[in-house]
Amino acid sequence: MIENLYKKILLSDRLALSKAITLIESTKVKDKNKSSKLIKKLYKKSGKSLRIGVSGPPGVGKSTFIESLGIFLTNKKNKVAVLAVDPSSKKSGGSILGDKTRMQELSVKKNAFIRPSPSGGELGGVARRTRESMVLVEAAGYEVILIETVGVGQSETEVAEMVDIFLVLLQPSSGDELQGIKKGIIEIADILVVNKEDEFENEVKQTVSDYKNALSIIKKENNSFTTKVVKCSALNRTGIGDIWKIIQDFKSLGNKKGWIKEKRTKQLEKWMWDDLQKNLFENIRNNKKLVSEFNKLKKKLAKNAISPTEASKKILQHYTKNNKS
Amino acid sequence: MNKKNKRNYSSWTQIAKKELKNNKLDKLFSKTPDGIEIKPLYTINDLKKLDHINSYPGMEPYIRGPKATMYPNRPWTIRQYAGFSTAEESNKFYKDNIKSGQTGLSVAFDLATHRGYDSDHPKVLGDVGKAGVAIDTVDDMKILFNGIPLEKMSVSMTMNGAVLPVLANFIVAGEEQGVAQNKLSGTIQNDILKEFMVRNTYIYPPEPSMRIVSDIIEYTSKHMPKFNSISISGYHMQEAGSTTAQELAFTLADGVEYVKCALSKGLKVDEFAPRLSFFFAIGIDFFMEIAKLRGARLLWHKLMKQFKPKDPRSSILRTHCQTSGASLTEQDPYNNVVRTTIEAMASVLGGTQSLHTNSFDEALALPTPFSARIARNTQLILAEETGINKTIDPFGGSFFIEKLTDDLVKEAEKMINEINKMGGMTKAVEKGYPKLKIEEAATLKQARIDNADEVVVGVNKYPPDTKEKVDILNIDNTKVRKEQIAKLSKIRKKRNSKKVLASLEALTNAAKKEPNKTNLLKYTIDAARNRASVGEISDALETVFTRHRAIIRSVSGVYKSAFEGKEGLKDIKIQIKKFVSKFGRRPRMLVVKLGQDGHDRGAKIIATSFADIGFDVDIGPLFQTPDEAAKQALESDVHVIGVSSQAAGHKTLVPELLKSLKKQGNKDILVVCGGVIPPQDYKFLKDKGVAAIYGPGTNIPKAADDIIQLIEKKKNIAA
Repeated sequence: MIENLYKKILLSDRLALSKAITLIESTKVKDKNKSSKLIKKLYKKSGKSLRIGVSGPPGVGKSTFIESLGIFLTNKKNKVAVLAVDPSSKKSGGSILGDKTRMQELSVKKNAFIRPSPSGGELGGVARRTRESMVLVEAAGYEVILIETVGVGQSETEVAEMVDIFLVLLQPSSGDELQGIKKGIIEIADILVVNKEDEFENEVKQTVSDYKNALSIIKKENNSFTTKVVKCSALNRTGIGDIWKIIQDFKSLGNKKGWIKEKRTKQLEKWMWDDLQKNLFENIRNNKKLVSEFNKLKKKLAKNAISPTEASKKILQHYTKNNKS
Repeated sequence: MNKKNKRNYSSWTQIAKKELKNNKLDKLFSKTPDGIEIKPLYTINDLKKLDHINSYPGMEPYIRGPKATMYPNRPWTIRQYAGFSTAEESNKFYKDNIKSGQTGLSVAFDLATHRGYDSDHPKVLGDVGKAGVAIDTVDDMKILFNGIPLEKMSVSMTMNGAVLPVLANFIVAGEEQGVAQNKLSGTIQNDILKEFMVRNTYIYPPEPSMRIVSDIIEYTSKHMPKFNSISISGYHMQEAGSTTAQELAFTLADGVEYVKCALSKGLKVDEFAPRLSFFFAIGIDFFMEIAKLRGARLLWHKLMKQFKPKDPRSSILRTHCQTSGASLTEQDPYNNVVRTTIEAMASVLGGTQSLHTNSFDEALALPTPFSARIARNTQLILAEETGINKTIDPFGGSFFIEKLTDDLVKEAEKMINEINKMGGMTKAVEKGYPKLKIEEAATLKQARIDNADEVVVGVNKYPPDTKEKVDILNIDNTKVRKEQIAKLSKIRKKRNSKKVLASLEALTNAAKKEPNKTNLLKYTIDAARNRASVGEISDALETVFTRHRAIIRSVSGVYKSAFEGKEGLKDIKIQIKKFVSKFGRRPRMLVVKLGQDGHDRGAKIIATSFADIGFDVDIGPLFQTPDEAAKQALESDVHVIGVSSQAAGHKTLVPELLKSLKKQGNKDILVVCGGVIPPQDYKFLKDKGVAAIYGPGTNIPKAADDIIQLIEKKKNIAA
């Protein structure tokens, strides 16, 4: 099965690619083993795409923007993959994956592959699955990957840490409030895109200059890309060409000065540590030998006989001891 | 009279409590989905604060009726909505109906026409002649009214998207019959705002669409004094699952928006407002519906005051009504005759100006001559046997109805204020506000039916032992399409193509001009005269206006909330948990609508409730082709595709989807269908490879359970 998927993905077979992503997303241990085999085989074939992260508050028009940029690129004969993560409901666990509906035109393009994924309940799961899915679509020959986040909490930073260039979409605002967007996100953004110039022409202009001012205060690391602020209308598809040009500049400059390579190296390291953290945790948490110890500690915690910090240290001690013997 | 028997509310309370034994009077009070309290008893005290009590029909505030003499002078118009396949077939049907006592015509167009596509367009493969008649050019329109004198027969046309070419074709058909424009009577629906909320048969974005609406209002007010320029419709909202107050509020708010739009065109309110007409659905909630029609007149009069009309007719609400299609069931279909009768009574007691009664088989398919006859006779019996039309507003002064009317109006006013705060209905529609509100209400309604809080006889209570087989009308869509294409190519050869091109170019240029400086209908009539087709005219405008791309949002958590504290979802949740541990992910379903059928309530309810139950659900865009749906299913690697069909395209489109899946190499994806699918077609679909079919009235948790089992079965065979 793995051999078959491997061959077909290299031939850019849509069905095989889709099935392989399912395998990666599976919570079954058996599937996980298979998928890590597949990733191992395909890993060397990956890494050739430009990875673009797109974030922004709900309602800002992320999907519309991705559709516009995607169509712009497929019209230039680029192969584009979109990986979108939709939030799963905490209560039912189910989800509505509606992104395709908002990428109506892009989704029918032959050179586009769109895969919405439920965020699921697994801790850190989105990051692992997205990284691995990227490997798959790259191996299948997609040249540009657009990653859309749902814009809740930590996921923006997570995505910023797995892409080459990070775009943050912003609502136009009137006046001086820099609405709702966390300062931290602006710091990690490479391009700030103020959307909806079709509807709010003046506000968009104002917002662009506000952010330019704000950015002049924030210092970025030396030897990195100076954050750009641009405007567009994702709906009417204006400004998309300019944004692509900035992305191209970023790429050529980044390749020349070595940022992109540097960034990717850091990301790989992060991936390694993340993975270790996750595996170690799972290893401890699911360790049958430690179950009785967990239960004892739980009882102690309930009685306030021990602090959570102390308890976690105890677990670690038990684990190391256990693994030595 | 001793003290104990004093006739007042508190003494009644005492006696009532005694009757109840447990003293709990509370359980006799209930709340409607709008939150209106329904009491077990209404008394004269409930009328105390109501200003409208002492009023007369034909006089302000018109709550008792738009005309002073109402039915005792002239009964309502029996206007049955019909149209199917070709113009020839529909014409024959109309003539038969007129012979049997029908007094007005109401034309249903097919989905291709609605969306401005000619019958030969590749996107409308499954839609031509379905759910209405196919009209490509004036010549089709002439056939449609052949032998029907248009100066006498009032014609209502349900058209919103391609409203310009269709109205132009009607005008030219009249012209060539020898009937001048000012002699034509009838109504064009021309209500685009509700299309963006519920039915989705729009073509252009909201702004140019509103311009078209006002151009039609302007043109008819100048040249067609007997023609209603618009039929502001709540019908489709109720059909899509709105509450009564929502239907009332959103419809009247739409009305206000159209008035503003026409005023901005430079018209004076009295020039057009008397020709605005309304269209409501009448559902099974008998008293509420009577209250709605009375309340609508009261509220419209109040709302129109802001425009300071001098002509009293400007603030009188006149309406057409249709019994509710959504209240009809596939199970035990003859019950529908009874439901329709009750709804027809409510319409008449509410004082409607014209009425369509549904045929009992409309939950299954288009009406047959037999079912259409019963539907028509329902009205004839009401009008001619019961004596219902001898007295005006028979419920006037009823403690209950008067209070209910007032409660409902107040609830609607709250919603209208909400919309005003957003800057009016066009803005609210752009934000998707009313659409989302209606979908929320619809989802809750579905949940109430699924957990049997709301009874539907023969569906969730008292199900019949045997399944009744009903004869239904079958349209051979491929044949209709062939005939239309043949007619179309003949006309294209015969017509003066230079003239056609010139008139289409003139239309495009007019669309580019400032809205106030030109009237698009005028140019469309020229193009229609030259035999430009509906599709060509629509394209000429699309080059300027573009085609609207809807942003689809869905509600979440609403379905589940109705099950709070109940056991209804427990079993299915266990099923899903088992599924996840077995297959490593949740069951994943793609919900699609294929073709030009924009009725997306069913699809939206399925999507949100399945997600609430614990499925991962992908939603396909509207107007998807089978190929596009197959590609989406494949990229998302779903277990199952659920096709929602309301407009009879399933026999063409579903087999196409199955073919396309196979072609794209996918053997594992199941296809199930839901919606209005006649049982006669079940075998056909199953033979083609459809795994299951769920008709109206399906219990959602049960269907979800069934689908999970089907997926497992398929997986087991594959493994």
